[in-house]
Formats: sequence, structure tokens, C-alpha cells
Amino acid sequence: MATITATPRKAAPPGILTHPAVRKLLILAVAAAILVPLAVTQWGGTTWPAALTVDVSEPLGKASDWIIDNRDSHPLFLYFFGHVSNVVVIAVRAVYLALLAVGWAGVTAIGALIAWRVAGVKLATGTAVAFLACGLLGMWVPTMQTLALMVVAVLASVVVGALLGLAAGLSDRMDRVLRPVLDTMQVLPAFAYLLPVVLVFGIGVPAAVLATVVYAAPPMARLTALGLRGADKEVLEAVESLGTTARQRLLTARIPLARKELLLGVNQTIMMALSMAVIASVIGAGGLGDRVYQALASVDVGAALAAGIPIVLLAVVLDRVTGAAGERLGESGKSPLTWLYALAAAAAVAVAGRLAGFLDWPEAWEVDIAEPVNRAVDWMTAHLYSGVPVIGGTADWAAHFTSWVLNPLRDGLQWLPWWSVLLIVAALAWLIGTWRTALTAVLAMAAIGVLGVWNPSLDTLSQVLAAVAVTLVIGFATGIAAARSDRFERALRPVLDVFQTMPQFVYLIPVVALFGVGRAPAVAAAVVYALPAVVRITAQGLRQVDPAALESARSLGATSGQQLRQVQLPLARRSLLLAVNQGVVLVLAVVIIGGLVGGGALGYQVVFGLAQGDLATGLVAGAAIVCLGLMLDRVTQPTERRPRKGA
Amino acid sequence: MSTTTSATPPGTPEVTESAAPVFSVDGLWKVFGPKAARIPADPELAALSPAELRSRTGCTAAVADVSFDVRKGEVFVVMGLSGSGKSTLVRCLTRLIEPTAGSIAIDGEDVRAMDKSRLRELRRHRAAMVFQHFGLLPHRTVLDNVAYGLEVQGMGRAERRERAAAIVAKVGLEGLEHRRPGQLSGGQRQRVGLARALAVDPEVLLFDEPFSALDPLIRRDMQEEVVRLHREEGRTMVFITHDLQEALKLGDRIALMRDGRVVQLGTPEEIVGSPADDYVREFVRDVPREQVLSVRTAMRPASSADEAGTGPALRPDATVSEAIEAVARAGSPARVMDDGRCLGVVDADALLSVVAGTTGTADAAAAEATTGSPAAAGAARAGDGGPPTRARPSVGEALAQRRKPTTPPPATSEEPA
Repeated sequence: MATITATPRKAAPPGILTHPAVRKLLILAVAAAILVPLAVTQWGGTTWPAALTVDVSEPLGKASDWIIDNRDSHPLFLYFFGHVSNVVVIAVRAVYLALLAVGWAGVTAIGALIAWRVAGVKLATGTAVAFLACGLLGMWVPTMQTLALMVVAVLASVVVGALLGLAAGLSDRMDRVLRPVLDTMQVLPAFAYLLPVVLVFGIGVPAAVLATVVYAAPPMARLTALGLRGADKEVLEAVESLGTTARQRLLTARIPLARKELLLGVNQTIMMALSMAVIASVIGAGGLGDRVYQALASVDVGAALAAGIPIVLLAVVLDRVTGAAGERLGESGKSPLTWLYALAAAAAVAVAGRLAGFLDWPEAWEVDIAEPVNRAVDWMTAHLYSGVPVIGGTADWAAHFTSWVLNPLRDGLQWLPWWSVLLIVAALAWLIGTWRTALTAVLAMAAIGVLGVWNPSLDTLSQVLAAVAVTLVIGFATGIAAARSDRFERALRPVLDVFQTMPQFVYLIPVVALFGVGRAPAVAAAVVYALPAVVRITAQGLRQVDPAALESARSLGATSGQQLRQVQLPLARRSLLLAVNQGVVLVLAVVIIGGLVGGGALGYQVVFGLAQGDLATGLVAGAAIVCLGLMLDRVTQPTERRPRKGA
Repeated sequence: MSTTTSATPPGTPEVTESAAPVFSVDGLWKVFGPKAARIPADPELAALSPAELRSRTGCTAAVADVSFDVRKGEVFVVMGLSGSGKSTLVRCLTRLIEPTAGSIAIDGEDVRAMDKSRLRELRRHRAAMVFQHFGLLPHRTVLDNVAYGLEVQGMGRAERRERAAAIVAKVGLEGLEHRRPGQLSGGQRQRVGLARALAVDPEVLLFDEPFSALDPLIRRDMQEEVVRLHREEGRTMVFITHDLQEALKLGDRIALMRDGRVVQLGTPEEIVGSPADDYVREFVRDVPREQVLSVRTAMRPASSADEAGTGPALRPDATVSEAIEAVARAGSPARVMDDGRCLGVVDADALLSVVAGTTGTADAAAAEATTGSPAAAGAARAGDGGPPTRARPSVGEALAQRRKPTTPPPATSEEPA
């Protein structure tokens, strides 16, 4: 949105025809002048022409039926997927049983001791408190279910990701093949991964674990490859000059040199896995996510919160502990002996807990927060939803936002002739990126039409656009404020830290409490989810502006406003574009999940497909989500070339 | 530590002119770009200037038809500005960069014909390199970094640590064995780099601009360190630098490179006293000539027996600045004595004209000619592989002398942008 207003202004000065943006637009206009009349005479109307759609739901339905029919008999399933599925089930079950056997006291002690060795006393306390809180909320068993699924999924993701990353890091050809795939997977909403997995494995734990692995492995692979490739060239040369073999180079230099990236990869994989493990409750993951899912389905905010808090605690603890492990890397090595002591102590606690009968969390210690929370929500519904004098109520806001922003935007998009949508996409993508990104974006958008989900996709798109606009306005403002005031940034940092580690799913809980169900809450959740990243990237970009440039502006007597407008913002252009790109990608992910709370459109079709066993509908919607994600990412993707030209 | 050279105590001439060169490089090319191999093969292309070559073929010749010998026990300096191909050249010696054409031999063995394992053997035992940005492994302690080369060779942990500890002490890093490179200063890091190279006891040490990244004072310390090591061990060294002062201070012989070619190869005195072309002349213009040139440059035959019999005595390789001091003290011309024989005399006028730079190449040649030392005048040109016939004192002594007057070196000019 911001880019639309920004680009024409740039084109104004003399030499108008030589400006690259104008040249691109002219070429596009010529192409449109030829193609559009052709298209209009052939296939008029505003919505995607029926003649150009391909009905894939029937063959997809057939394929899904065939898979369901043959799941127990076809050799492919018997000898491959069946084994995979069994291994996953057995592994998750084994970890789950082990966690239960250790008991709550044991798990808490082991967790705290690991955190202590890895990250220090403070985080160890935090870990223990988090585990105890999970028990207090009556969520011990679901927490263990989620944890068991996570352990298996993270291990598999790290192994798969590290192997792929190793291949991409060592072989240039592999890198060329893998990089675009991984880059694309990174921008796709989690929901898009669910259906293909369900198609093969059916709803259940194996599908959930595999979806999680597919979602969580790419960051590990990317970072592994990045670490291996980013190693200091001179160090590698020095190592080679000493006559090392290729294997020695890999083991003694390349992998150790990449250890920071490797640990960061593990951290990101864990966070992604948690996020997905929760979302995968939609396809039978069980555990905490399932509790939230069930509670949201019946708009039981209290129950959702009781399950949501453990998710947040788990996320924060896992992130901090693995993050601290990465930061402590440079420090002197810890002796293995202390690890041994720690393990022995943890084992002792576990055994003691077992003997004392502290296995299951005692029911007497559970605190039921669902009841009071629901009472509070009821009170809010009664008093804050509507009719608050002057400011109106939250439900009023949601309704207004829906009728004044979302509806006109959606109707506007759907009113636009289909070819003009393609044209706008092409123009935006080309202006910000290259003809290549423009082509990808247009093809992705056209694919949506071909799939026959043009209108629901535009509905989703309208929600995304509205949410992105709100996110960018708030995000840029907050980011600029944070960049200009140290105190504000210090206050903001812990908030952003926590918000950035929370899984997408959790954001749905408070918005349902505040705004009820519908499209507005989905948008609100998306805004809250995307804000931290946008704020952070904006503030970082502004702060990284060359101090010398800023100083010279100040020495010329520029006011702080002038400094911001004429120096900081232009120089931080790259970061701002990145913020837009991230904002769009993150917003899309949550808008899609918003299908669970009445967001409708593509997200709802996926959920509906899953719930009704109508996989064809869900798969088509999933494919459309992929296309939409690709399109939005490409449209907002600044390329290497342009910023350099601008700088 | 030292192998071959320990037998010859410092102070005796250990460099025999007939000794086989350690490295013998002949017609070496390294061309970057598409179809690089055709350029050395085609005499017409090979003769092109870098700009022409680039526009006609899209290739860059980083090293173009370079030939030289590195003799046992000498410090051979390759000097040139950035982009002159000197770093590529030194990497070609152990094939860290694969040369395009030409031949390299180490102790008569063809390096380019070596297979992988033989090449590894060469890198492990015969030639070790010190890098500009140190190239240390950040996750290892100083001791383990120094021991790394030995570890690669497959030496046991206890033995390699013991040897590494000895080397660490030798380069003056005692007490820092268990630090990591990140906790050291630049100079200390380069000492680790030096120790790592020394630990494998190589025949040749290759330095790739090792001190360019260091502060001037630290750089001087490190240069002293190299001088000291060379004096103690007499190890052959190939030293790459862009700093003329450093080259003059350390080098027994200097190869001056420009655009991939060696424009002049000779002793520091030859380079400063008789530059081969305008480029070299421009390069050495600001060098304090009196500190580099020897009294031979200013010498004239004794005009009388009286002149040959009185006045302060100087060695033939004493610098002009030493002669100035002697002449100024005595107030009379000084004699240049070699083995009790008077080679000639230097007076104030002749010394002054050296300082003023009015003593041209011809004068120097004439002076050399009279002393029967023919090599210097021709200032061994690029591609010259033959040993100079200049009578040389022991390496250590020569260095010690050369070092003295050049301290403190003027703040080095570095590479012009």
C-alpha cells in the first residue's frame, strides 16, 4: 500500500522517460494495450472467466479417494509411508511415555538443570516456573503430549535440515536447486502444509509430525548452508595451506566455524516446530494446540487461555534457553563432569519423585482459570462490546472495521476486472523487483484464477491488505519512535521479544475475547502477530543508517524531522522494504489461520475441507494459499539490484 | 627446530651460489576469466596490456610470465601495489590457486605435476604460509591453533601439544596458550599465525602481507621478530608485501611486481640505486638512499698511495649513511677496505651526491665495475633466474646492518587508492 503512493512521486522529475520505473510502466502499458482488448473480447466480466478455470476438485477428490481406499493395501503405503507412519507413532509414544514415567517433578528438574547448564540460573528458575505453571493450569498431560511431538519433530527436522544444509553448503549445484525451494517454503503460511500431508497419512499424529518437520526443517537447512558458505575464506585457505584433506577441512574448520548459524538454526527450528505443532492440532496433533482449537470452536475463551498460557511459556523458555546456548558459545568450554553431576541430580529427583508418587500432577494443585476468565469475558461482552459512551465498544469497532474497511476493500477487489488485478500485480512487482519476480507474481495470481478460487482469494487478499496497511502504519510509527528514543526502545524490547516467540495460533485467543468472531478479529490477530517484526526491522534499519551521513546532515543544520525524512528514511529504504515484505508474509499466515475464528475465505475452506473430509476443497484452497503467498512475497520483494541503484 | 641450516652457525656464508634453488618458478601465468589457458599460449595475447587483454578477452592476468628462483636461506620479497598479482603468485607456489601455465619446482620437484596426496605432503611439511588476516580457527585455543598443522598430519595429542607449546614460547606468547584468537590483539594473533606455520617445521615460510593489517608499531615489532627468526634459523622465506620499507628491511632480494609482471628483481641496493624503469624510479623516489645504498656507489679509486693508506676504514657493504658519519668525524675521505685491501675511497662530495640523488645509474655501474662486481649494474631483470654474483656477507649480518639505519621507518605510505 505504501509503495503505491511512493513510486509515482519518484518519477516526477525531468528525464521522465529515462527513469527506470517509468520505462517499466510504459512497457507494461504497451503490453497491456495489446493483451487486454484481446482478453476482454474473449473473456469479459469482472471475475475470473469460467472458461479459463480448470476443475481440479474432481481429479483431486478421486486421488484422495484412491489414497484412502489403498492406504492399507498399496505397496507404496505398506512398505514406505506405513513404516514412516509407524516409526513416528512409536517414537512419539515412547517419548510421551518416558515423559510421563519421569513424572512432573522429574521433567521439571531435568528441564531446569539443562537450562541451568546451558543458560544460567535465571533461565533455570524460569524453566522450572514455566513447567510448574503448566501443571497448575491443569495442562500437564497436554503439555507433555505437545512436548513429545515436539521432541520427535525437532530431532527429525534438525537431522533432515542439517543434511540438506550440508549438501547445499558443499555443492553449488545443490545450493542452486535448494535455495529457491527453501526461500519459498519460508514464506508460505503454515496452513498450506497441512493438507498434502493429510492426503497421504490421514488425520493423526504422523501427519502432524510430518507437517511439523516439513515446516520446521527449512530454517535449519538454510542456516546450515549459510554457515558453511559464510565461513571466513582466509581461514579455510589457511587450513588448506596446511595440507588438510577435504574431510579434515569439513570436520575441523567448516562445521565448527558455522556453529553459530547451526545453533541459530536449531533455535529457529524449535520455534517453528512449536508453532506448527500447535496448529497441527487441526490435523490431529493433540496436546495443547488441540485444547485451544476445541475451546476456540466453542468460543470458550477461558479454556483457550488455560491452554494458551502453557504454549506461550513453553515458547519463551525454549527460545531463551536455545538462544542463550548460542550466545554462550564463545565462552570457555564447560567440563563434561558438571554435566554429569547435573544429569545425576536430575535422575535423582526423578527417582525421588517416582518413589514419592509425584508422577501425575495432583489434581488438588490445579487452578481452574477457565471459569473466572470466562466470567471476565462475559462481563466484557456485557459492558465493553458495544454502547460504551463516546468510544463505542470493541464489537462496534470490529463491525465498523468490517463494514467500512474490509467490505469496501473486498468488494472493490472483486469489482475490478480480473485482468486489471493481474496488471496491478505485475506493475507493483516489477516496480519493486525485477521482471522475473513480476512474472512469478502474475503467474501465481493467474493460477489462483485457474484453480477456480478467485473470489475467496480476493476476500483473503482484502483482509491481508487491510491488515498490512494497519500493521505498517502502526509498525513504522512505533519503529521510528523506537529508533529515536533509547528509553522507548528499551521498554519495548522485552515486549517484542515475547511477542515474536509466540506461536501464531495463540494470537487468536485474545482477539476472540475482545472482538468475537468474524473477519475483523482475524485481521486484528494478524496485525498483532506481524507488528513486532515490522517494528523491529524498521527500528534496526533506521539505527543502522551510517552515523557519518547523519552527522553531516546535522552539521548542515537539518532539523530532526529533516534528518528523518531526508537521510534516515531514504538510507533505510532497504530495511523498510524488508519490513513490508515480512509484514505481508506474517499477516497472510495469520489471516489464513483466522479461518478458524470466522475469517472465512481460503482459511475457512481448508478447515472445512479437513473437518468434512472433503480434501479436494481443502487442497485447492491450500494451493491457492501457496499461490497467494508466492504472489504477495514476490510483489514486495526488493531485489539486490534496485536498492544498489538507489543508494 | 631448524633442520638444514642449524649446521651452519650464523655469521658464516651459508649461501653458496651453486646451491639448487628452493623454489624455481619459470614462465608462470595465472589468468582469471573465460578460456584462460589460451592467453599464455598465444604470444600476441600474452603481450597485451591488462586493459587491452580485458577488453579483448574478458580475462585478467593476475600473474603474467613470472620467473624467479628462491635460494636456500634467503628472504625473497615480492612487492607490489594491490592488484599487482603478488598474493596470487604466492598462492600459486603451493597451488592454493591453480596456475594457468608455466612451471614451479620445489627442490627440483615439479609442483604442478604433483597428485593430491603429494601436494598435501608439500603443504604439510615443506611450505607453510602466514596470512594477512591470520586465518586462525576462532573456536580453538592458541595452543590448539598452533598444533593444528601437526594434528592435520596425524600427530598424537600429547606430542603435538608439547611441540606447539615450545613454538608458542618461541614467538613470545607464553601464558596465552589457553586464550582464543578473539581474545588476542592483532599482533598476538599474527604471532599465533606465525607459530602455526613454524610448528610444522617447513622448509619454506610463505608470508602473504602478514603485517599489513597491523598498527605501525606492532608491525615493526613483528618485522623484528621475522628478522630474529631468520637470523636464528636461516629458514628460507618468501615474503609478500606492498610496503617498500618492509621490503627493503627484510629482503635479501626483491621482486617488484606491476600488473602481474616482475618489473625488476634485485637486491634492495640495486632496486634503489638503479631502478629498471620509471615506475620503479617513482616507487623508490622517497626512499632515504643513504640508508640503503652501500659505499660502493660513492666510491672512487684512490688517487694516491697516501689516500689509500690513511683515513677511517669502512666495509664495502657499509651504508652511505655510515660513511657520512665516519667522514664527518674524521674530516677526511674514508677508505673502503676489504680483507685489508683498499678498494677505493669515498669523500664528502661523492657521499653528498648519493644523498642528493645525482649519482645516476651510470655512476653506480662505474663504481661497481671498478670493484669487479658486475652484477649490480644490470640490476637483474624480470625473468632473471641466475644467481647474482655480489659477494654477500652472511644473511644475518646483512640484515642486522640493513635494519639498523632504517629504524625508525617513516610511517609507511601504504597503497595509494
